[in-house]
Amino acid sequence: MTGPSGRGWSFDRPAQWLLATSLTAVVLVPLAPILYQSVLSDRLYERDTELTLVNYALAFGSDELRATALATVGFVLLTTVLSIVLGTAFAVLLTRTDTPTRSVLHDIVILPFYVSPLVLAFAWAILYGPSGFATVWVRSVLGLPVWQLYTLVGMAVVAAVYYVPYAYLYAIGSLALTDPQLEDAGRIAGAGPFRTLFSITLPLLRPAIAGASLLTLVSAIELLSIPLVLGSPVGVEVLSTFLFATASRSTPHDYGIVAAVSVAMLAVITVLVWLQARITGAERRYVTVGGKAIRGRVVGLGTLRWPVALMLWAYVAVAVVLPIVGIFAQSATAFLSPLIDPLSVLTTDHFRQIFDQPAYVGSIRNSLVIAGVGGLAATAFIGLAVLVTTRSDFPLRGALSYIALYPRAVPGIIVGIGFLWTMLLVPGLGELRNTLLALTIAFTVRFLPIGFGALTPSVLRISGELDRAARVAGATWLTTTRTVLVPLLRPALASAFVLLFVSFVKEYASALFLVTGGSEVIGTTMIELWRQGNSGPVAALSATQLVLTLVAIVVGQRLLGARLRG
Amino acid sequence: MAEGGGDLVITGLVKLFEGGVRAIDDVSLTIARGEFVTLLGPSGCGKTTTLNCVAGLERPDRGRIAVGDLVLTDMSRGLVLPPERRDLGMVFQSYALWPHMTVYDNLAFGLRLRRVSRSDIASRITATLDLVELAGLEKRYPFQLSGGQQQRVALARAVVAQPRVLLLDEPLSNLDAKVRERARFWLRDLQRRLGITAVYVTHDQAEALAISDKVAVMSAGKVLQYATPTEIYERPTTRFVAEFIGRSSFLRGSVVGVHDGRTQVKLAGSGSLLTAVPVGESPVTGARVVLAVRSERVEMRGGERENVVRARIRSFVYAGAEYEYILDTPEGELRASSPRPVSGPDVSVHLPPDAIVVLRDEDA
Repeated sequence: MTGPSGRGWSFDRPAQWLLATSLTAVVLVPLAPILYQSVLSDRLYERDTELTLVNYALAFGSDELRATALATVGFVLLTTVLSIVLGTAFAVLLTRTDTPTRSVLHDIVILPFYVSPLVLAFAWAILYGPSGFATVWVRSVLGLPVWQLYTLVGMAVVAAVYYVPYAYLYAIGSLALTDPQLEDAGRIAGAGPFRTLFSITLPLLRPAIAGASLLTLVSAIELLSIPLVLGSPVGVEVLSTFLFATASRSTPHDYGIVAAVSVAMLAVITVLVWLQARITGAERRYVTVGGKAIRGRVVGLGTLRWPVALMLWAYVAVAVVLPIVGIFAQSATAFLSPLIDPLSVLTTDHFRQIFDQPAYVGSIRNSLVIAGVGGLAATAFIGLAVLVTTRSDFPLRGALSYIALYPRAVPGIIVGIGFLWTMLLVPGLGELRNTLLALTIAFTVRFLPIGFGALTPSVLRISGELDRAARVAGATWLTTTRTVLVPLLRPALASAFVLLFVSFVKEYASALFLVTGGSEVIGTTMIELWRQGNSGPVAALSATQLVLTLVAIVVGQRLLGARLRG
Repeated sequence: MAEGGGDLVITGLVKLFEGGVRAIDDVSLTIARGEFVTLLGPSGCGKTTTLNCVAGLERPDRGRIAVGDLVLTDMSRGLVLPPERRDLGMVFQSYALWPHMTVYDNLAFGLRLRRVSRSDIASRITATLDLVELAGLEKRYPFQLSGGQQQRVALARAVVAQPRVLLLDEPLSNLDAKVRERARFWLRDLQRRLGITAVYVTHDQAEALAISDKVAVMSAGKVLQYATPTEIYERPTTRFVAEFIGRSSFLRGSVVGVHDGRTQVKLAGSGSLLTAVPVGESPVTGARVVLAVRSERVEMRGGERENVVRARIRSFVYAGAEYEYILDTPEGELRASSPRPVSGPDVSVHLPPDAIVVLRDEDA
C-alpha cells in the first residue's frame, strides 16, 4: 500500500531546493562582484580591465585610510564598552533590585531599538550639536563650558545610546535563563546580596556580555548614519563613511579601493561573527539542569533606591527622551532655541515642505510599500527558510542556516554596492535598477539574520512529534508545513512581520546606492535633506518615521498579537 | 557542630500568596537535633515554601522559626534573618553549582566568607570531598561532572561549613532511578555520620519512607500527619495520607458497636460486618467511617470465615514481584496484590482486622 500522497515522488525536495538556491543566490551573489572588482584595474563593467592586486596595495598603503581604520577601531571600541556597561547595569538593576519605576525605565531604555540610528543622530545634533538647543542653553543661559558632540567621542556616545538596548536585552535574556537557585545558593553559603551580585550574578553574565560585545562591535563597524551626521561635517571619518564618500565619487580608481576596503571589512567582520557564534555555543556550559523558571529574587536597595532610580532616569532623559522630544519640537518650530519662546515660532511649514513635495511623499510611500508588501513577502520567505533548516531532512540544511545568518557580517552599504554592481554586471538584471523589488530583496538580505533569530526559537518550541505525527498520518513535508507548522507559528510570524516592517522602515544604508529618481525611501531622503542643511524638514520626516514605527508596533501588538523583543 | 545547634522548632508558620491563598497554613513542627525529617506531599502542598522559609529565602506572614536558642524568624517581632546569617547548608533541586567556579571554589566560597584560613579551607575541602567519595575532582568544573557527581558536590558544598541544619530540596529528583535508589542509602548514611539535623523535601513517598526518622505529610499548606515512616504507612490518620502513601482501597460503612477494643463496622453495600482494630480514639456507635486497606494486606486465599468479602476479579497485571488485581465487590472497587496468581473469577477475600484502618468519613 502506498501512502495517501502517492508513490514516492512529491514536491517537497524541489520546493526545498528552490528556496535554498534563491536564498544562497541573494546572499552570496552580490558579494561576487565586490571580490571581482577588488582585483580589477578598472570599473568592473568596462571592457579592457585586467587582473591586479594594486587596489589592495593602494588601500593598505594609504596613510589616510590607516588613520580612518584607526579612528574606526577607536569609535567601535568606545561604543561597545559604553553600551555594554550601561546595558548590563540597567539589566541587573532593573531585574534584580527594587529600583522604583523599573518597568517604565525598562520601556524607555529599549526605545532606541525601534528608532533609526539616523533619527537618533539628527535628534542628538538638534539638541546637543554645536548650535543645538541644550548646547546653547548651557553656554548662553548658564554660561558654562560646553561639550563637543561632533567628535569621535561624541559619535561613540550617541552610538552607545543606540546599542544599549542590545546589551540590555542580551543581559535580561541571560538573567531570565539563569537558575535563580544559583543566587540562592550564594546567600545560603553566607554571601550578602551585593557579594552575591558580584561573585555570582555578574560572572554568570559573562557569555551574554561577550556575545553582546561582539554583536555591538560588528554593528558599530558598519554603522554609517551616526558618523555621517556627526563626523563627516567636521572631517572625522570612519570606514563606513569613507566607503560611502568614495563609492559616491565612482571614478575607476575609487571602484577598486571601495572593493578592496569592502573585502577587508568583510574579512574582519566574518571573523568576529564566527567568534560570536563560538561564544554563544560555549554558553551552553552555563545552562544548568532543570530548575524552576521562577524570577530571581529582588534585592532591596534600602536608602539607595531613589538615588539609583534618579541616576537611571537622568540617563534615559538625557540620552533618549529629550532628543526625541527635541526632534518633535524642531519639526514644529521655525527656529528651535532656548533664547526664543518655541510657542511663538510654531509652524507647520516643515511638514508642508515634506508633504507638498511629490518626491518626498513618494519616499514615504515607497518605504511603506517595501515595509508592508515586501515585509510580508520577506516574512514568508524567511519563515519557509527557517522551516527548511530546522524541520526538514533537506541534506544541506546546516549549510543553509549558515548562509542565512551570514548577512550579519555584511555592512549595509556593502549590500547596496554589491546589488548595484550585480545589476550592472549581469545582463538582464539591469531592468531591476531603481525598482522597489531590488530594494525589497536587498532589505530582506539585510534582515535575514534578524528574521531568522526571531523565528527559530518559536519553531524549536514546537514539539517535533507534531510534524512526525502528521508525516506518519501520510502528509508530505509541504502539507505538514502548511497544515501543522504554519498555523502553530502564526503569532511568531506576526511578530517577525512587525519586526521586519519596523526594520524596513528604518533601513537606509543598503538603499543608498540602489535609489535614484523615484525609488527613494525615507532614510535616503532624510540624508539628502540633511546634506542640504534643512534640519526642519529632516525633523518633520524623522517625526513621521517615528510615528509610523509606533503605529506599526501598536497595531502589530493589538491586532496581530505580535510580541516584540529583539 | 556550630554553636547554637539544637532542635529546629517551627511554630505557627503562615505564608499567604497573592490573592490570599494560604501557601502554608499554620505549620508547626519540632525537629530534634540530629534528626532526619522529610516534608512529603504533592506539588503545591507548601513543602518547598516551608523549606524556603527556614532557609530565609522566603518571608512568612506569621510564625516563628528557631534553632536552639537562635531565632531565625519571628514575625511577631518582624524579625527575618537574611539567609547568609542563618548558617545553614542547602542542596537545591537543580544542585545550583556555580558553573563559573571549579568544584574547589564552589566548596571554598562559603569558607572564605567565614574567614577560614587558607590551609584550613584546603584540609576541610579535602576531608569533605573524601566523605562524598569525590577526592581528586577539585579542579573540575560542574559541567564536566555526571549528574550523580554534581549531586554529591552540591551536598559537599552544603555541609563543608558545618552548618546548623542541612536543608535538601528534592536533591535526588534529577537522578536516574537506579542511581537514585543507591543515593538514598548513601545520603542517609552520610547524615548519620555527620550527626547533622536534616530537613528533606520530596514528593516521592518511597524516598520519604526509606530515608527519614520522621515524615510530615503535607497537603494544601497543612501538616496532616507527622510521625515515623512505619506509623505513617501502617496507621494513617486521614484518607489523604492513606491514599498518597502506598496503594489502598477504601470501603464505606458505619460503626455498629465497639467490643474489647475491636470495632464492628457494617459495610454500606452488602451489609457484611467487618471487625477492625482501631487506631487512637475508638469511633462511637453509629458514626460513618471509611475503612482503608493496603492492597498487600488483602488476602485472597479463602478458608477464613470472619471478615470475608465476596469479590470478582475485574482485571490483573503481572508486576514482577507480585500480581496486582482490581476486584469488584458489592462495596466497590478493591485493590489487592499477591505473590502468586489467584484463580478466579470469583474469589473470597479476607481482610485481617489489624490490616484495617478506621478513618472518619470526611464526606459525611
